Parts: sequence; structure tokens; C-alpha cells
Amino acid sequence: MRHIPEEELHAYLDQGLSRSQCVEIESHLASCPSCQAARDGIAALRDRTTALLAKLAPPRNFPPPFDSLRRRAALEATARRRRVHAAAWAASLVAALGVGWTASSLVIQRPIPPGQPAQPAAAVPQATPRVDPAVVRPRPSTAVPARVIRQSRRRPAAVARDTTGSADSLRPVDTLPLIALPTLELSSIDIPRADFDMELGGMWRTLSWDGAQAEAGDKLPHIDGLPVVQVQLQTVEEGKKPLMVVAQQLASGEVIRTIEGPMNDVSHLLAGRTMTDPDPSARVDSSYAGAEPINLDRTMAMQRGDRMLVITGALPQDSLRAMIRRLNAEMRSK
Amino acid sequence: MDELELLYQSTYTAVVRFLYRKVWDAERAEDLAQEVFVRALAHRPDKPRAWVFAVAANLARDEARAAVRRKRHLTLLKGDPVAHPTIQPAADTLVEHDERVAAVHEALSVLTPRDREILLLWDAGLSYPEIAAQTGLALGAVGTTLARARRRLVEAHDRQHADKGNHAAHS
Repeated sequence: MRHIPEEELHAYLDQGLSRSQCVEIESHLASCPSCQAARDGIAALRDRTTALLAKLAPPRNFPPPFDSLRRRAALEATARRRRVHAAAWAASLVAALGVGWTASSLVIQRPIPPGQPAQPAAAVPQATPRVDPAVVRPRPSTAVPARVIRQSRRRPAAVARDTTGSADSLRPVDTLPLIALPTLELSSIDIPRADFDMELGGMWRTLSWDGAQAEAGDKLPHIDGLPVVQVQLQTVEEGKKPLMVVAQQLASGEVIRTIEGPMNDVSHLLAGRTMTDPDPSARVDSSYAGAEPINLDRTMAMQRGDRMLVITGALPQDSLRAMIRRLNAEMRSK
Repeated sequence: MDELELLYQSTYTAVVRFLYRKVWDAERAEDLAQEVFVRALAHRPDKPRAWVFAVAANLARDEARAAVRRKRHLTLLKGDPVAHPTIQPAADTLVEHDERVAAVHEALSVLTPRDREILLLWDAGLSYPEIAAQTGLALGAVGTTLARARRRLVEAHDRQHADKGNHAAHS
């Protein structure tokens, strides 16, 4: 007869087994002195662990009245709503003022990360035709595009991280076969922050958090607990859930965006950042990009049925992956 | 009484203890525990007990990161020959009144982070399925992990005693 393994005895004593497993173990114990001795040994070990850990208790421990926490929660909720309203208002103002700047900023194309082979972009509709890097003249350093300088100066640490990171795990958006993603597979893509900040084509509306919730129901993609900076919606089709972009700010000041919408529209949105360059010669070619590191945001995409969930921001990939997994679980539970 | 309030009454102490064993500061542990329940009030999670411990674990992790940053800052100050000669690294400022407490603390630090997490979650009163759901461990692996964690904790603790005994005998 097989003796009961140690871990099963732990689980048995911890009441971590099913009723039928318990019955099986008890009937074996009744007739097996060696397993009885093992059980007693484990029970003693268990008690000792509990006694040792009990020494690690904080000295004083009176729970404050629950009502005081209720009041705090209510106050924080009010403050949050106010912040969101103010931020949404300010954001629409900034968006209005920023239109001119946007138009000029779109002249510069997203760079190809160093060491990234050019791939055909067959899976993404309307992809920009690739420019052979050999055809593009390397620029003299005096002609560094203004935005590139601004970015690299703004976040030198992140730039270093991005350029030293694994090249295979990061893929530029216009070579990523977004449509072909297997269900729930994670993929990582990178896109330049400035393009992504500003370029939302089509009929976009900036809404307050409450307004957006009223429209999109409970399913606004967002990370709980972070202040919401901006909510944007794009109506896709009458009667269908809109394409949603929620921008939130981390304590560090970084802005992350969560995007949810019909898969094709989200793909277009992501692919769109590389399709707006009217002048291919303005493109920063890869050899040049190697000399001057370019800051890239990171994006994680996850397919959910015929819709897609995306999270983007200048965060380590692990954080983004954890966030999108949690987001997916939360949205599924709603 | 609402469900969260009942949970608060029954688990507040366990949450504080759980946090204390991660941040090693009683007051901070209480602040964080209250923060956890304030967030629970805002979110009204479906499985509040598991949720509360998951958020507590996250807050403790953030806290540990902040502590590392502070420590780095202290080290920088220490390296500066003129500034603040009295500043000590964080470990030294941790007041350990009771030697026995220090011994358990040290034994606990010998465990791998995962073993420690699971042991602390179990000690906080979470069930096997709750532990599995929170840590991503397979249900069947919880017993294995706990078996190892308990054995290692007690062994590490006893080893310290033995070392101390030997040390005393030699001197």
C-alpha cells in the first residue's frame, strides 16, 4: 500500500483537500502506524511554524472604526471625480490648442529600431511602403529633427533601457501581424510616444469619466486606482460598443493608455501612426537611429474575441504584461 | 452590517500582521491595511477577502521598492564625506528589541520569496484555493510549497540556535 506523501499530509491538516481525498487518507491512516507518525510529526512542525510566526506580530493592533474608513473612501471618490472633470476639461483645451502642433509633428516618421529587419507588412492593411534604408541619405548631425532631440533629452534613462532591451521581443507596429494574433496571445510592439499622443484620426470625442461611463457602460478599459487624465471615444458603428482610449497617469508622471475596441479599428489605430508621413525622405533611417537613441513607448496587445485590448506606455514590458492580464481578467468579470 | 464591514472586523488584524511581516513597521502596516479597506470600499470586489490580501501584497511590494530607493539615497549620503555622518543603513535603524523576534525574522528571510509569500498568506488565514488563485500556483502545489516553507523556516531557526550555542561554547 502506498504511504501518504508529505505534502498531502500538510494539505490534509490544512483542510486543503476535498472530502473524498480526506476519506481516503483517513482510512489509510487508521491502518498505517508509519503514516500516523508522519502525520504527528507534520502536525508538530505546523504548530511550531505558527508559533514562530506569531512572534512576528506588530505590537499594537486596534482597528479604527469602520465608519472612519467609509468617510475616507467617500472623500477620495469625490476628489477623484473632481480631478477627472478638471483634467478632461483641461485636456480638451490642450487638444484644441495642439492641433497646429500635431500637424507639424506628423512630418517625422517612426524610426525602425536598430537591428530590426524590414519585413513585409502584408497582414496590416494600408501599411506604408518601406523605404530601403540604403536609399535614404544619412543626415548630418546638424539636421537632427527637433522632436528626436526633445525626446532623448526628456527621458535618457528610458532610452538606454529601450535600446539595450531584447530586439526580438519588441516589434514595430507596422510589421506586427496584428490580425493574425492567436486568441489571448500577448504581443509586444513599440511606437513613438509623440505620434501616439496626438494622432487620433476620425470622429473622436473627449468625454468626462462619468459621461464616458454612461456611454460605454462599465467596460471602460482602465487600471483601477490610477487618476484618469483623459477618456476618448470613437463611435464605430451604430449600436456597437465604441473604440475607447483611456489615459491615466502614474505616480511617476508617466501616462499610460488603455485602448479597447473592435479588432480592425484598433489595428488601424495602431498601424495608423506609421501611415501619416507625407514625405518618405523625412524618415529617420535605422543607421541614424542607432547613433542617436530614440525613445519608444511600449505596447501590449491582447485579442479578446473580435475585439482587442491594448495597453501602452513607457513602462517595463513586465509591468505592461501584468497590467493587461489583470485588465483582461477584470473586464471579463464585469 | 455590510459584508465589507464584517470582513474588516474579522480580518483587519490578519491584514496588518501580513503587511507588518513585509514592511517591518507596525504603524506603516496599519496605514497600509486601512488603505486596503478604503480601496475595497471604492471597488466593492466580488471576492473581497482574496482581493484584500492581493491588494495588501501589492502595496507591500510598492513599499519595498520605495524603501530600496530610500536606502540608495541613504547610501549616497553616506558616501558623501561631509554630510550626515550619523545616518545608518536601513537594517541598522530597524529596532529589534527581542532577540527571539530577530531570529524568526532572519529565518523567514532565508525562504525564497514565493515560499515566504505562500506561508504568510496561509498564516493570514487564506484557504488553499485562495492562495492558489492569488499566487498563480496550481492548487496541488500549495501543499508542496507549504511543506517546504515550514520545514525550511524551522530548520533555519534551529540552525541559528545551534550556531549561537556553539559560539557561546567556544568563547
